[in-house]
Amino acid sequence: MDPSIIRQLRKIVGSEAVLDRPEELMMYEYDGGVDRSRPGAVVFPETTQHVSGIMRLASQTKTPVVPRGAGTGLSGGAIASKEAIMLAMARMNKILEIDVANQRAVVQPGVVNLEVSNAAAKFGYYYAPDPSSQKACTIGGNVAENSGGPHTLAMGVTVNHVTGLEVVLPDGRIVEFGGKSQDSCGLDLTGFFVGSEGTMGVVTKAIVKLTKLPEAVATLLAIYNSVEDAANTVVAITQSGVTPAALEMLDGWMVRCVEENVHAGYPMDAGAVLLIELEGMKEAVEEQAEAVSAVCLQAKAREVRRAKTEQERQLLWLGRKTAFGAVGRVSPAYYTQDGVIPRTKVPATLAEIERISQKYGLIIGNVFHAGDGNLHPLILFDSRDPKQMEDSHKAGNEIMECCIRFGGSITGEHGVGLEKKNFMPRLFTEDDLEVMIKLRNAYNPDSILNPQKMIPELRFCREITGPLPEAKVEPVSGMPV
Amino acid sequence: MSAAAAVSVERELAAIVGEGHVGPQEFTPSQLEINGVTPAAVVSPASAEEVAAVVRLAAERKLVIAPAGGFTKQDIGGVPERVDILVRTHRLNTIEQYDPGDLTISINAGMKFVDVLSTLAEHKQWLPYDAPHLASATLGGLVATASVGPLKHAFGGLRDFCIGVQFVVADGKVVKGGGMVVKNVAGYDLMKLINGSFGSLAIITRANFKVFPMHRQTQTFLCNFNSLAEAIQFRERIFKSPLTPICMEILSPHAPEYLNDPQPPNDPDHYVPNQPVTQIPNIWQIALRAAGSDAVLARYRGELGSAVTRELDGAAEEQFWRWVTHFEYNVLERHRNAMVMYTHLTIQGVAPAIHALEKAAPDCNFIPAVLGRAATGNLVAAFVPLSVDPPSAMQYANCVSAFRAHLPPGSSAEVAHCPKEAKHHFDVWGTTPTDVTMMHAVKRAIDPQNIFNRGRFIV
Repeated sequence: MDPSIIRQLRKIVGSEAVLDRPEELMMYEYDGGVDRSRPGAVVFPETTQHVSGIMRLASQTKTPVVPRGAGTGLSGGAIASKEAIMLAMARMNKILEIDVANQRAVVQPGVVNLEVSNAAAKFGYYYAPDPSSQKACTIGGNVAENSGGPHTLAMGVTVNHVTGLEVVLPDGRIVEFGGKSQDSCGLDLTGFFVGSEGTMGVVTKAIVKLTKLPEAVATLLAIYNSVEDAANTVVAITQSGVTPAALEMLDGWMVRCVEENVHAGYPMDAGAVLLIELEGMKEAVEEQAEAVSAVCLQAKAREVRRAKTEQERQLLWLGRKTAFGAVGRVSPAYYTQDGVIPRTKVPATLAEIERISQKYGLIIGNVFHAGDGNLHPLILFDSRDPKQMEDSHKAGNEIMECCIRFGGSITGEHGVGLEKKNFMPRLFTEDDLEVMIKLRNAYNPDSILNPQKMIPELRFCREITGPLPEAKVEPVSGMPV
Repeated sequence: MSAAAAVSVERELAAIVGEGHVGPQEFTPSQLEINGVTPAAVVSPASAEEVAAVVRLAAERKLVIAPAGGFTKQDIGGVPERVDILVRTHRLNTIEQYDPGDLTISINAGMKFVDVLSTLAEHKQWLPYDAPHLASATLGGLVATASVGPLKHAFGGLRDFCIGVQFVVADGKVVKGGGMVVKNVAGYDLMKLINGSFGSLAIITRANFKVFPMHRQTQTFLCNFNSLAEAIQFRERIFKSPLTPICMEILSPHAPEYLNDPQPPNDPDHYVPNQPVTQIPNIWQIALRAAGSDAVLARYRGELGSAVTRELDGAAEEQFWRWVTHFEYNVLERHRNAMVMYTHLTIQGVAPAIHALEKAAPDCNFIPAVLGRAATGNLVAAFVPLSVDPPSAMQYANCVSAFRAHLPPGSSAEVAHCPKEAKHHFDVWGTTPTDVTMMHAVKRAIDPQNIFNRGRFIV
């Protein structure tokens, strides 16, 4: 990196807020995904004005900038090249306001997701989107990726909960989209910004909805002898007329892995389990819990347990939310996918994943948001074995192909980033991508902000006529998500 | 466009869609007017590809296009600079794909919303969304105008369950965003951009939605209050209670006068109460709609207690909500000179906005009647002309600016309906908290020649 840029960055944010020594930069060469690259410098702005100043400098010198929240992303969205400035938002971590009367929180981008709920809890509210990494991931990152989580089945994803944003554009301009009101006149640039993966601007303030805490919660654990029966239950619940707050599935291998880690009472001999949560008024929750239990039993659940205490409930969820970390104890390397399929295709897709697992002789664990049809197959491999590494890439690609074939998508909540960019031409035509590029250019004309992410350049799309190039996969050890 | 040029364009349009699908067909030219501007040519394509060919023709000739669905909201927005081609979507009227098991549906833009609902009802499913003019509003039009009704309280708008969209952009290409799965972050969220773009960015040809299981039963609780303050206090009580109603509407004392079946236009056009009374009683109403089993509804009764004045269920309940949804049109059918504004407010902005309305309207010789979502800030504010003389254009302009001036910061309010003559005297869209420069940049990026709905929207 040009030393004069480093000098100017130090002028903007102070010398202690810029890192440029190789040993310091090492910490910032990866995120929760599989790609790695060391940035040219890391800078820690503390105010919107800092961000604006940095973007102006970057824009004048045509230096790429990559924003980063907590680095828990799984698609390589926060990976920066050696020519790039990494904009680490960790110091912009203040909850600016909990506006109970308007059911809003105003937060800086570096605020951790769970902290918003914690701050609102004493008023009887919470922030609904709950990615499994919610103890670490930040609101800025959630906005960039349009993050989901188990409870987004009933509550919606990040975009349904953001009403206003303050954004610094690549040229340093500070703009506002929306506010505390649920909507406003004109184009919905707030909704359009969410999920843009840091390619349109840098969020410096977000206004998010606070949701009333439910009066009652019931958490059920339905236990099955086979994955197939559990998968069929997902379809049956979806069609039963009850929308659970969460409907998660763990296959037998994952159940054992999780149980060894957290001792939550998951049955070690299960073929699969469904973790089902119902929320709302206590009368409604009781009725729904009964209805859902009946559906499960009818669909061959061998047992349906209900968490009796809040502690039991928390433990079951701890198991679910730390599942990826639990896998890290068993296998040094794994590759997580984030495919989405129509919900009736859950049984067929799981059968296909099993076939792929056998074909390559690799263990593939499944833990996912079954109610949304959002799969997270974890492909385990030994990074010391080149054949296994190669096979894991192939298996991952075959799973993605399967999701596309079943009418699904390549990502439900992790984002496209670097990892899945090559798959975009399989979902979108050149004309679709061209419009996305034109829109990106309206915000980010020189593509200095998070370059080479999300949308493949058209020249590159045109080259993809035959089979897809293999996604670049490198092993990374268990980072809880 | 000259008459000769229009004939030549019509000939070319006919080559794309067939002779029988060019021209006003069942409409008289005045029925196709948009705020007084008559389209030079009218075309009804039958597929996204035909729409694309029409747009390409328009782009080559630098012609201005206005899309049209059920003509229920065509008068919203500014006076168009001109309309060279009106593109009707009524032939795009099929369900592309419906998977009841997956709770997803893909609908072509010209399909009437009422037909979508009846298809879904066969599988005990629905889109939790209510729109006025149910019989004629099309899906494309509803998406384009981001219309909302009382169900917004619990379910949000169409934006919140639109999972995919297909549209034709200004260079005549068919483009899509999203897909047919309920969770999807591949690519930009074009659904959000197109929703509420009022035909200014593209012509919507198809939209995909996640659908929901229908409620087994609902019940409506009407609660009367002697002042706005008491009604608002009651709303706060509901927020603090465990109740989770699916609708929460606030109705001003004059609003119930327009909750009935369409009535003949008043002539002369001025405010006359339904029943001759010396004064309309100052009753403010909150209408709560609850869904759930008998036990859930019993709980509502227990929690609400004596606040409930009347309960509605079955056909009477359906009728009440149909009237609430149709409120603004009922006002407009009775009073051709009435004005209707939509507000976008914070929760705490609702009461000050109603106060602003109650002050601004009489000052400019209007009677205020308002209803809307007490907890989302989407009010429908009607200004009914008070005097026998029709109000002057400046009266509308003054009233709009007085109302906007008293709204809390961060609010926005657009004029949805008013006499077209008045529209030249003020900005129907008003200010918005969202950066307008960026809105223009987005518009320029995909419609650089400004061929879509020129002059009607903010961009």
